[in-house]
Amino acid sequence: MILPYLATALLALVTAYSAFVSFRQQRDGSTATWIFPNGTRRSAQIAVGICSLALFLGVTGWLTIDARHSIRHSSRFLIPEGYVGWVRVEFQIKDAPPLPVEGGEYLFKFPPSGLLRTSSSEEYGWAKDHYFYYSEKGARILPDTPPGGGGLIWGQINAEESGPLGKKKYEEFFVGTEQQFGEQTRGEQNVGSSAPATPAK
Amino acid sequence: MIPFFLYLVVGAVTGFHVYILLMLAALGAPVDPLELVSLVGSLCLIIAAYLSLFKPHAAARLALLASLAIWCFYGPAIVRTVGWF
Repeated sequence: MILPYLATALLALVTAYSAFVSFRQQRDGSTATWIFPNGTRRSAQIAVGICSLALFLGVTGWLTIDARHSIRHSSRFLIPEGYVGWVRVEFQIKDAPPLPVEGGEYLFKFPPSGLLRTSSSEEYGWAKDHYFYYSEKGARILPDTPPGGGGLIWGQINAEESGPLGKKKYEEFFVGTEQQFGEQTRGEQNVGSSAPATPAK
Repeated sequence: MIPFFLYLVVGAVTGFHVYILLMLAALGAPVDPLELVSLVGSLCLIIAAYLSLFKPHAAARLALLASLAIWCFYGPAIVRTVGWF
């Protein structure tokens, strides 16, 4: 990835440039050159202002339109009681059942394997999702918090992979404590595998 | 216009890079407070870009302070990556 190297090189350049300009003008007075200008023409200032305003309005408008078109329904994820590990939803799978909708929420009921296949398409956008452990006795909430908040849902990934049957869209997340998630990701880094974990016993 | 583009590009590139790193927190990565300092530095660099159109000398000073703030994150990161200590 070139971005860190590019950022570091540019940062070194701007540090040297700004330091030189800061101390040069103090010492020598003003000698304007193309690389060390004393100011900018009025026309250039207006052009930059107009371009910046147009860019800002364009980006704001694009984000607003994009947000309106990407409305996502809330999801309710039902995970077998005691399951610890990665769960995975695979979308747009032929012959798989569509996702049921209950109370305006998509219902993702995972089997004990932690792998759920559906013919439904994945939706994108922001929505408040809910997570539960389910058993014969009922369901209990799984907290979804930021790091350090005692949550049990981690590492949500929405991605696409290519296989022999074409491209496959999927969503994965980890169910367990933050410590278990850390141990799992460190273990995966060592093994180099992203296969869903088996349920805890 | 040279300082304007220089400060603007560097502010955008470093800000975008640190923003990506901060987004990894959503996957459980720990947040380094220096990343936030660096992000503020990138924002100041973008402000310096616009200031350079009117007051090049003041903009250069602001850009120098901003770049030092950005180095607060990049410096230790480079040292750790290279493994000097």
